Amino acid sequence: MAAERHLRAKENRPLRKYGRDESVDFPFLFLVLLLLGIGLTMLYSASYAQSLYDTGYQNSARYFLKQAVCAVIGILAMYGFSRIPVGFWYRMAWPLYGASILLLLSVLVFGQKVNGARRWINIAGIRFQPSEVAKFTMILLLARLTREFGSRAEKFRYGVLGFGLAIMGILVPLALEKHLSAILLMGMVAVVMMFVAGTKIKWLLGGAAAAGVFVVVYISFMGYAGDRVTAWLHPELDPGDTGYQILQSLYAIGSGGLFGLGLGKSRQKYLYLPFQYNDYIFPVICEELGLVGAAVIIVLFSALILRGYWIALRARDRFSTVLGAGLVTLMALQIILNLCVVTNLLPSTGIALPFFSYGGTALAMNLGEMGVVLQISRYRNQRKIQEADI
Amino acid sequence: MGKQQQGLTDHGQHRRILFAMFLFGIAAFVPILLRLHQLMVRQYDYYASLALRNQTRTTLVTADRGNIYDCNMNILAGSVTVENVYLDPRELRQAKVDIPALAQVLGEILGKDPQWIEEQAGDITRRYQQIGARVEPEVAARIRTYINSQGISGVHLEPGSRRTYPMGSLAAQVIGFTDASNQGVEGVELAYDSFLRGDPGRVVTTKGNNEMDMPFSFERYQHAQPGCSVILTLDSTVQRCLEKQLQTAVQRYQVQNGAFGLVMNCKTGEILAMATLESYDPNHYQQIGDEKIRADLEARKARMDLLPRDSADYRREKEAYDKIRTDAQLRQWRNRVIADGYEPGSTFKVLTMAAALDTGAIDLNTDFYCRGAEQIPGRSQLLHCWRHQGHGAEKTPQALQNSCNIAFAHIALKLGGERFYEYIQKFGILEKTGIDLKGESKGVFFDKSLITNTEKWGTASLTSGSFGQTFKITPLQLVRGISSVVNGGKLLEPYIVSEVLDDQGNTVLRQEPTVVRQTISPETSKTMCSLIRSVVTNGTAKNAAVLGYSVGGKTGTSEKIDVFDENGRRVQDKIVSFVGIAPMDDPEYIVLAALDTPSRETGIYISGGVMAAPTVGGVLGDILPYLGVHREEGADTQVLMEDFTGLTPKEAKKRLEELGLTGKFQGEAETVTEQIPTAGQAVPGGSEVLLYLGQAPGSREVRVPDFRGMNRQQAADAAGSLGIYLRISGNPEIAPQITVTAQSEAPDSLILPGTTITLEFTDTTIRD
Repeated sequence: MAAERHLRAKENRPLRKYGRDESVDFPFLFLVLLLLGIGLTMLYSASYAQSLYDTGYQNSARYFLKQAVCAVIGILAMYGFSRIPVGFWYRMAWPLYGASILLLLSVLVFGQKVNGARRWINIAGIRFQPSEVAKFTMILLLARLTREFGSRAEKFRYGVLGFGLAIMGILVPLALEKHLSAILLMGMVAVVMMFVAGTKIKWLLGGAAAAGVFVVVYISFMGYAGDRVTAWLHPELDPGDTGYQILQSLYAIGSGGLFGLGLGKSRQKYLYLPFQYNDYIFPVICEELGLVGAAVIIVLFSALILRGYWIALRARDRFSTVLGAGLVTLMALQIILNLCVVTNLLPSTGIALPFFSYGGTALAMNLGEMGVVLQISRYRNQRKIQEADI
Repeated sequence: MGKQQQGLTDHGQHRRILFAMFLFGIAAFVPILLRLHQLMVRQYDYYASLALRNQTRTTLVTADRGNIYDCNMNILAGSVTVENVYLDPRELRQAKVDIPALAQVLGEILGKDPQWIEEQAGDITRRYQQIGARVEPEVAARIRTYINSQGISGVHLEPGSRRTYPMGSLAAQVIGFTDASNQGVEGVELAYDSFLRGDPGRVVTTKGNNEMDMPFSFERYQHAQPGCSVILTLDSTVQRCLEKQLQTAVQRYQVQNGAFGLVMNCKTGEILAMATLESYDPNHYQQIGDEKIRADLEARKARMDLLPRDSADYRREKEAYDKIRTDAQLRQWRNRVIADGYEPGSTFKVLTMAAALDTGAIDLNTDFYCRGAEQIPGRSQLLHCWRHQGHGAEKTPQALQNSCNIAFAHIALKLGGERFYEYIQKFGILEKTGIDLKGESKGVFFDKSLITNTEKWGTASLTSGSFGQTFKITPLQLVRGISSVVNGGKLLEPYIVSEVLDDQGNTVLRQEPTVVRQTISPETSKTMCSLIRSVVTNGTAKNAAVLGYSVGGKTGTSEKIDVFDENGRRVQDKIVSFVGIAPMDDPEYIVLAALDTPSRETGIYISGGVMAAPTVGGVLGDILPYLGVHREEGADTQVLMEDFTGLTPKEAKKRLEELGLTGKFQGEAETVTEQIPTAGQAVPGGSEVLLYLGQAPGSREVRVPDFRGMNRQQAADAAGSLGIYLRISGNPEIAPQITVTAQSEAPDSLILPGTTITLEFTDTTIRD
């Protein structure tokens, strides 16, 4: 018993730096910076018309400049996070988790409304979205729990209930915010992390089925299921209203053709395509750069994701592996869901495209998370620590 | 730490991560790339065209509207370039233009309220606010100078076009007019709108939503195709003669409800002139042409302006004002020759007689007897002839010459309802004439059974119908029917447009005479020609005679059947009319003139023979020489005076003889120093001219006598004593009852001796 307690205490000891401090993984860093560069360039192009219009034809770079500032903050965060040992995150997982739940709840009280949704909060004059932070802290906690549960993850109590409670801690406040897209995204990330943690696949499949039923029931209770499905499958039936957004998106994508209209020459961005500088930036890219340009960006994303998982696989310890895999999965799912929505493969949800879409918190957080992955990558060439050795 | 606590082996966990890696790093992108390929390559054309339609704005560039010409290529309707002035409020705001100052200046130039212009400039959601429509080039130039000198951006001018009608009210109802959007609304402008308007050009521009400009936009032009020109059969000279004569008649007989008339080529169906009075000026088609109504409207407006805007009185006044104005507009735009039926009265007897002769129901020797009134079998009311004492014994020609209703009732009975109706149908009375104008009416004729089934309905309709009463047809229907009577029996389709040319001058459409059907035999037609001629030589139409031409025709006076006074009693308003044809040996032109409700106050007997016949005679007298119809020998000729000054009396005498004039010399000098009339004046052939040899003429001006009421001899005496030359028009016969009814120079005006005055002689005792 004492030995076991000792073992547990030992297990819970922070991960110590081990071996030589290596440099970060250059291909991954390069991909991040390349995508960020392309993303900022395209954001300037995509937000050009909207910025002019919103500033009364005074400023074409309003959104670009704000995003650029956040990119600088994000790069600093990425650099900082890349130097923070994972042990710090391991220790901070619970406090940060608690803090983000508080933040999410405080949004309900002090939150600011933007575009009709109460999701922003002002702290010391900086406005940000706690849900972006919560994504990170949930992944942190799940990674920590994975290590703590160890083989018990295969048991229902840990693998389903334990993880489940941790996930609900975040998802319930989000549900109160009615932040559906975040719930969807984080639910999927959580499922993937449970899968990686070792939760039995039958439980995951059962849970997915239950979630599916819940979603169907929930949407039909919301009362506009029929409209939504119709707008998704047949947007051309109501081109002026429910089908407008997706039709304008398809016009932009389709009219890009193989090589596009040329950088900066999108026409749909001239206020035809709503949200052309955040959720619907990819159609503008398609319109301007064509299938070739879009494919290049998709290949870059793919490479980033593959390299990210590669780093997770080569992480020094299991916490790092699961944390890395969780962060990369978050990134990957955002990219995939966004692309599926703008191409009308999936019905519309509000998920932004990492590194491209306008949104300061998301950009800074994305870069910060990449910093964490970079930190993990520092140990890619080292022998794995056996859990017993910690 | 045991393996069991390890849970998943590293290997197992790695497998799961590899699965996620494959799923999210590769597999998930496959459907996305396939979808992009589908959208951007396979369906590229579809989406590109949809996107283009989404992003482009098409602006129409109006095509130049084609001209309307008369048969001699005089422009009746053309277009002039004008400009529209508009503001771009957003541009004004961006350029920080001083809007109140701008509004002040523009308001002054355009004659608009500066306040209003300021309001237009203030609406920055718009990019196009028109503040001046179709302004004249001079006005546009002033605006251009102002904005250029001040460097203002945001005020724009764009070319447009405005329709002009250089001949003003001439043939207004025939030509019609266009509305503010340059679309034909009435007349030829409406009927030939599809030819005249052309195809507008298009400018296709890419434009952002909310009218945002795009830097990478493109424009594509498709040039406008100018409209075709339309050439009318109408001759503006003939039209002017017709309108002038109708106008003269309206004034002379104080005609209450306007007048209408037309001139048609009875061999081809070409319309040479078509007039409705009171007319209007298509350049300002909203304005009321009738002076009395205009004055009334102005008075009402003045009264209205004194009332407070929101009072019930004001609303009532405004309603009345609007109604009068709208009614007057609709009335003045109406082409009564084709759109309105009227009772043709005795002019219709030509058709009845032609039918009766053609069927053989009567011949030229059929006897009639008129006692002034007669109880016709099958007719409840006693039938009166216009001549109460009766015409006595008549044969067929006298029946027409006397316009005897009793005789015509008998002709109708001989003809019978069936045949009468059959001929009515043949003469085109039951159908539209098919003239190439819109809004043609076909009149209101009896039901067939009313005419044919005399057992049931009696003979009232048949007999009244025979002399043109109690039904309505359009003037054009009547003229077309009578044309077929005199042209050998061919019923024609009248037309007003002879040719349509495209902007290169190629013929797009050419109209040729169309014969609809044969009405009567050529022999009957010949007979009818001589009968119609005899109405002018021996009958009620003597006042239509024109010296030197064989004119025929038929008078008509009809009571309007459907006009009631405020008490519901039938008003005895009359339409007097005349259909004249010339030359009768080979009829070419047919003229109708009708005067609606001449006043009883002039004291002139209200009849077609007295009022309409001289009007038509006047028209024929004017147009026949112009149209080159051969003038019979021995008729009076006009001689143009030459300059005789400087000639010796001998030379002058010789030249005078050559011209068919005689001379009277005064004075002793060697050569002619002065002459009366002066060179360039037209004098009747055989006149005596005064040539002065050194001696100054006496009093230079003489006072014009009042010739009215004088007969031919009295007039000649009065003129001769003053050295005034006379030109005789109207009834050429010399008889005591044929007197002057009009003179070209007003009584008591001063003229030079030697001037020619035209006197119109009319037999004022004629009835029909």
